[in-house]
Amino acid sequence: MMKTWISLPLIFLLIFLPFFLSQYWLHVMIISLFYVMMASSWNLIAGYTGQISFAHAAFAGVGAYVSGMLAVNIGIPPWLGIFVGTFVASLLGVGLGYLCIRMGGIYLSLTTLGFSEILRIIITNEDRWTRGTMGLQIPGFFTEYSKMSYYFLFLIVSAVFLFILYRLIHSEMGLSFRAVLNDELAAASSGIDTIRVRILAFTISSAMAGMAGGLYGHYLMLITPDIPSLGQMFLVLAMAVIGGMGSFIGPILGAFVLEVLSEYIRIYGEYHVLLFGLVALGVARFAPEGMVGVIKKRWKVKESP
Amino acid sequence: MAEFLMYFTNGLVIGVINAISAIGVSLIVGIMRVINFAHGELYIFAGYFSYHLSLTFGLSPILAMPLSVFFIFLIGILMERLLIRPTYGDEMYSLIITFVLSIVLQNSALLIFGPYPNKPPALISGSTQIFGLFHYGNQRLLSFGISIGILLFVFYLIKKTWFGKSVRAISQDREMASLMGIDHWRINMISFGLGAALAGSAGVIIAPIFPVTPTGSSAISLTAFVVVVLGGMGSLKGCVVGGLILGILENLGAAYVSTMYRHIFAFIILILVLVFRPWGLFGQKT
Amino acid sequence: MSRRILEGKGVAKSFGGLMALRQIDFVLEEGEIVGLIGPNGAGKTTLFNVVSGVYPPDRGELFFDGRLISSLKPYQICRLGIGRTFQIVRPFLKMTCLENILISLIGRGERGKTLEEKKKEAREFLEFVGLRNRENSLAKDLTLIEKKRLEVARALATKPKLLLLDEVLAGLNPSEILQALELIHVIRTQMKITIFWIEHVMGAIMKASDRIIVLDQGEKIKEGKPEEIVSDPRVIEAYLGESNA
Ligand SMILES: Nc1ncnc2c1ncn2[C@@H]1O[C@H](COP(=O)(O)OP(=O)(O)OP(=O)(O)O)[C@@H](O)[C@H]1O
Ligand SMILES: [Mg+2]
Repeated sequence: MMKTWISLPLIFLLIFLPFFLSQYWLHVMIISLFYVMMASSWNLIAGYTGQISFAHAAFAGVGAYVSGMLAVNIGIPPWLGIFVGTFVASLLGVGLGYLCIRMGGIYLSLTTLGFSEILRIIITNEDRWTRGTMGLQIPGFFTEYSKMSYYFLFLIVSAVFLFILYRLIHSEMGLSFRAVLNDELAAASSGIDTIRVRILAFTISSAMAGMAGGLYGHYLMLITPDIPSLGQMFLVLAMAVIGGMGSFIGPILGAFVLEVLSEYIRIYGEYHVLLFGLVALGVARFAPEGMVGVIKKRWKVKESP
Repeated sequence: MAEFLMYFTNGLVIGVINAISAIGVSLIVGIMRVINFAHGELYIFAGYFSYHLSLTFGLSPILAMPLSVFFIFLIGILMERLLIRPTYGDEMYSLIITFVLSIVLQNSALLIFGPYPNKPPALISGSTQIFGLFHYGNQRLLSFGISIGILLFVFYLIKKTWFGKSVRAISQDREMASLMGIDHWRINMISFGLGAALAGSAGVIIAPIFPVTPTGSSAISLTAFVVVVLGGMGSLKGCVVGGLILGILENLGAAYVSTMYRHIFAFIILILVLVFRPWGLFGQKT
Repeated sequence: MSRRILEGKGVAKSFGGLMALRQIDFVLEEGEIVGLIGPNGAGKTTLFNVVSGVYPPDRGELFFDGRLISSLKPYQICRLGIGRTFQIVRPFLKMTCLENILISLIGRGERGKTLEEKKKEAREFLEFVGLRNRENSLAKDLTLIEKKRLEVARALATKPKLLLLDEVLAGLNPSEILQALELIHVIRTQMKITIFWIEHVMGAIMKASDRIIVLDQGEKIKEGKPEEIVSDPRVIEAYLGESNA
């Protein structure tokens, strides 16, 4: 009940807001929605199964480059290309997941970090295909460029992502995710195939990153090795951590707040990464449930004086 | 032939430095189940410290090197005390924190030291002829010697001293160790400092040969991680053997296949290990 | 002659240099309730861990219902029908009691039941151990006794044929022990579940078990009816040795 009272006006806002925004802020909103998709899907593995993947941005890069190169080289339309990109990302997800997850969380983190670096190196060096750091120009979704159309495209896909994630978290699968996060041995002794559960979560999340990356690429229409970089990965992680990992709202909140903030900070130079890093350290150390956790605590204190 | 031997020797030199750096990671993993993603940044910082101590503050490189390592040791101790200790037992948060820290340190390095490569002065100049086949830089030979010295010291520390015995006890069975009255908090802190100092040592040794840059740190961490997985998590012997293998393969690969793809070899090795022998060369299969 | 439900042949397990189990042979018949006793560190919990697949035995074989299980994973063994509790309870702390039980129902891997139906069934298990009124409490907010009950309910909810109970009575007061024994009786007679249990509370385990197996330093030193056990000199020595130490 409470939830509908909050979300209804929010939906109205999201639908009508763009008509009052400048092109610049429309752009910021689109980028924020991209980060909503990224941070929320990363939260599925990190927040709900406790595995830290450092390849989330890399999978977005896979989505963007696969779809982009298909469009440039053999003229496959972007709306089809992003599905191919998503598929490739999910295949890589299954592969990496299968290799590392049985060895434990540390191995997944190490290997995904390696994968990120390698992908960046390959994209940078194979410039015949990717045009390296110069960036590859790729077509957009719409024949007539309009930020408004992109805004609604991103809004709809984000909504679909969030809907899927919400259903997943509240399904039997979601319960298994949380059981694995809480106590792997106890989950296994209760009949849960913990390895399968972890690989599944990793694959779903990687596929979502691939899709988000594809959309992002065709919006920017110029893709560079920055998309699959660790710097990008850090931003996604910081959004989830600062917003609140393991909660549904946390990463959404984190994505909007950090993206909008970084626009303001950018005026003074490229300090936002350092600043977000310090804030994320503080949050991880002192308020591991993030902004959502802090708000919840405040709320409770007020409720029961 | 001479050319091949030279690349091979390069591989050996880099290999022992790899080993030092990897032991720094391995020690911390073995004892605390924490991967320090800021490893490469500590390595880079040591290189910069050594550069600035000798060139900006005019210290002799012989003093600047150990002093830089000592600073890194202190940073390691602080890291453990302030950031890692509270996450103890929560693997996920330790991964997040050290990763974020690596980004913070990398960006600080850019701000403080600038984006340009820096090369501290060499301790020694000239070159020596090896077996009458090729000339090899004295600085590299000296680095090799110092690295071997550090490796011997670490092995002595772990195998023979009270500290090493405690470390091994904790790595094997944490509960047992605490029953035996080992203060694992202190051991954790010292180990983390030592792990950092080893990253720093590798950094100051390599900096006069290959200059350090703030953006080079992820590749350095990655190399260390691959060596640790290849050798087997928590195995010191594995770090040495793995470090040498990787050093030699990377150098030969870079010489005969492609320079661009130096790090790809490391990643391919990582994947092969995970496929065929995930517990590594000397690790324990569980 | 009833069926062998669990059989171990030459089961051995060591940790580093420590031999926690040396060549143990044992058999459990269907429908029995068998006690496993022995001084601290005898290897009792290790035996349970090996049976439930937490680690494979170094040597030897385990059969459940005639099937070789010694190389299976814990979830597979659980699905075959071995449920267990942990000596140091391990509930899913940040999940509610109901969700804790649901995991076991999900773990069975049965198809065709909706989540709502599973919730209904889970409530019955909570009811059975007297935690119905706590269904929405987080497991971390339970008292130790309640956590132990949750642990038992969770094991039962996996629908086991064989239940391994590791010191479920430890820390209970005499009247709570009586309640718990009542519960064990019902599990055995009405649910028809074979029980293998570790206990330090001698009175209870002697009274309620058909048979007792005694471990000491990783070896099976005695097996038999409760009355044979209490009078056996080796068993007495093993326990006296402990209290003298
Ligand atoms: N995972 C492990 N790693 C190393 N040693 C272990 C491990 N598990 C058990 N041990 C050792 O194996 C021996 C047997 O332990 P176990 O827990 O099986 O004893 P127990 O009979 O259950 O004792 P208690 O009555 O105290 O519960 C002990 O010496 C213990 O320290
Ligand atoms: Mg025990």
